[in-house]
Amino acid sequence: MFRGRIKFIIAIGVIALAIAYLVYGGVRDTMVYYLTVEELKERVPGVYEQKVRVSGNVVAGSIKKSLDGNLEFKIADGGDSIDVIYKGIVPDIFKDGVEAVVEGNYTSENVFKADLLLAKCPTKYESTDSLKRAYN
Amino acid sequence: MIGTGSISIFLAFAVSIYAIIASVVGARYRKRDLVRSGEHGALAVCFLLIIATVSLLHSLLNLDFSLKYVAMNTSTDLLPIYRITSLWAGQAGSLLLWCLILSIYTAVVVIQNKGQSRQLMPYVIATLSAVSAFFIFLIAFVESPFEMLPFVPVEGRGLNPILQNEYMAIHPLTLYLGYVGVTVPFAFGMGALLSGKLDDEWIRQSRKWALLAWTFLSLGLLLGARWAYLELGWGGYWAWDPVENAAFMPWLAGTAFVHSVMIQEQRGMLKKWNMVLIIITFFLAIFGTFITRSGIISSVHSFAQSDIGPYFLGFIGFILLFSFVIFILRLDDLKSENKFDSILSRESAFIFNNLLFLGAAFTVFLGTIFPIISELIKGEKILVGPPYFNKVNVPIGLVLIFLMGVGPLISWRKASKENLVKNFSLPIALFVLTLIVLVLLGIRDLFALISFGFCAFVTTTVIFEYYRGISVRIRRGDNLLIALFNLISRNSRRYGGYIVHLGVVLIVIGITASSVFVKQREAVLAKGESMSIGDYNIRFDELSQYTTQAKQVTAAGISIFKGEKKIGSMVPQKNIYNYEGNREINQETEVAILSSFTDDLYIILTDFEGSKASFRVIINPMVSWIWAGGIVLLMGATIIMWPATRQKQKEISLSYAVGSKDQTAEV
Repeated sequence: MFRGRIKFIIAIGVIALAIAYLVYGGVRDTMVYYLTVEELKERVPGVYEQKVRVSGNVVAGSIKKSLDGNLEFKIADGGDSIDVIYKGIVPDIFKDGVEAVVEGNYTSENVFKADLLLAKCPTKYESTDSLKRAYN
Repeated sequence: MIGTGSISIFLAFAVSIYAIIASVVGARYRKRDLVRSGEHGALAVCFLLIIATVSLLHSLLNLDFSLKYVAMNTSTDLLPIYRITSLWAGQAGSLLLWCLILSIYTAVVVIQNKGQSRQLMPYVIATLSAVSAFFIFLIAFVESPFEMLPFVPVEGRGLNPILQNEYMAIHPLTLYLGYVGVTVPFAFGMGALLSGKLDDEWIRQSRKWALLAWTFLSLGLLLGARWAYLELGWGGYWAWDPVENAAFMPWLAGTAFVHSVMIQEQRGMLKKWNMVLIIITFFLAIFGTFITRSGIISSVHSFAQSDIGPYFLGFIGFILLFSFVIFILRLDDLKSENKFDSILSRESAFIFNNLLFLGAAFTVFLGTIFPIISELIKGEKILVGPPYFNKVNVPIGLVLIFLMGVGPLISWRKASKENLVKNFSLPIALFVLTLIVLVLLGIRDLFALISFGFCAFVTTTVIFEYYRGISVRIRRGDNLLIALFNLISRNSRRYGGYIVHLGVVLIVIGITASSVFVKQREAVLAKGESMSIGDYNIRFDELSQYTTQAKQVTAAGISIFKGEKKIGSMVPQKNIYNYEGNREINQETEVAILSSFTDDLYIILTDFEGSKASFRVIINPMVSWIWAGGIVLLMGATIIMWPATRQKQKEISLSYAVGSKDQTAEV
């Protein structure tokens, strides 16, 4: 009876350790800092080697698209802005003024090479402002 | 109509508070009338919420833009079917739906248990009413679906085009039926703790309801995956987005629960564990609702950010504190009736199953709230993305598949050597055979090999079990079909469960194949030009542009060839919606999919210029197996939940009464 119990405790311990190890390794290998444009600039040059995620609003008129899928644009928050280059799937709501989230590397030429692009609506989704402006 | 709706909600709130008090006081002082009055209160809440919902639906269908909710979520060009589904497109409507579903479940519980379990039921009803009261409070005082605008717009904002899809119409509904469904087994757990009736009654009832909730959660997750696959246009079906995780976590904990209740039923063990598990499952369901509804964790799903966050946090804190306090007070009554005999037993297979499911839920939870934790501890926002979730969950998942094969065949208490040899030689042989065949076919990916191997292992165990059951009956003189029917209907939980397992195997095969062997190419093509990917040749024939009432369509006509033979044509599109209203989202990329048993050809029109167009073409192997697995899973779950005949119900309740725990001789 007692021996069975010890086997159980060992087995459970092994599972717990294995999961802890998976979590630790997973976090260590995949974590990215989530920064604003301003914070990104503050961290130069240390940030050059890191994979980071940056969010900011797409600067109006900055989007340049070519047919082969290369996309260039600027994102800004407050006064600062950065140049972003990206090739990949562009979300339908991506356009001037939306909040864009990019993940990738900030290179020493001060261009952000993104390998992920997400976009969010600029205004609060349920704000009634737009209705008032249009029809009041 | 609007007045009717909001009055109903206020009344529903008052009545649900009354139902809590009447039930608790009635049970405490053994006032049967008061308890019954509480039950009637719960029925009245259901009735009132039906009125409120019908009233909102009426406004949505008739596009009454004086209501803020209607103006924000519909427009005059919206098809009637999507006016109805707008009920759950926004915050307030979703919350109303939450309340409605919970009140319907509550009414079913009341009606099913009329005059039975007199000690347990009042507290179950009180718990259900308390959860209802919280959600009704939200729609009555914080986020009302019947809020009026100070002016009446001539046009509404319209429904987001990506939500105008038949899967989006049923996916949230299914998911909600699951989320809310978790409340019922939790209420039975609380009822048992509060009343002190900790015998089999609560576990039997919660098992039934947990299974229902689990089935809906599974379907909701799969339908959501299918919607993302068809509509979001990035070629995949799962992205570990917080909103997806929100539904996945209660599913994981719920899966652990529907397995571990069996141990309590059969062997009278794990009583404390089951109680903790259902509390955790409910917590995760509410937490999931909180994440999706409060916008606390940034997600690509553009859900509302609103004021309900703090209320939710308070509610979650209260639930955890309350349930664990009464749990600790009842610890002494939750003693096991049996002890574990051996690590090689079905009990221990279930324990490991539980630990791994809960472990997986914990890792997903940690990954989801990681930005919040890191901000609290380090003052910096750090994310972990999809690679984290894959790295952690794939190994756990593989071990779980292995256990799925072991659990049903290993004997209770202590597996003898004969039992192991007799039951596992064939499955292990098939496992090895599958590995050899796959390696010979040229597959070298370790994860794929293990995953497919384990799937073969599980499938063999299931077929083996069916074969054994059927052959016993055939020897008794039944023909094959009758033997199969009798086998399943006499022991629907066991043999239905195997079918669910087969569904899971199909899903795992689909997920494995589509994530390991996916191929992708991009190309810019002029009219008449072709590209090739895998066995497919893809010819871009024409680009046509036209305008319909709702949208301007740009469609690329594509012919698909396999070798020289034309096998079909596809039309990926890019649409711009004409809105009278003022919406930010008006573009929509409509992917084209040519689906077959072996792979999906998935084509996205990424851009166009003059007569040239650029495409992203993806080959997703065996994705259709995932959806097929979902159907098999639903069939299995239906068999398990199919109401037993009156005769059989009697037998079951009798067996509970006698306390016959050992039912190993089931064939």
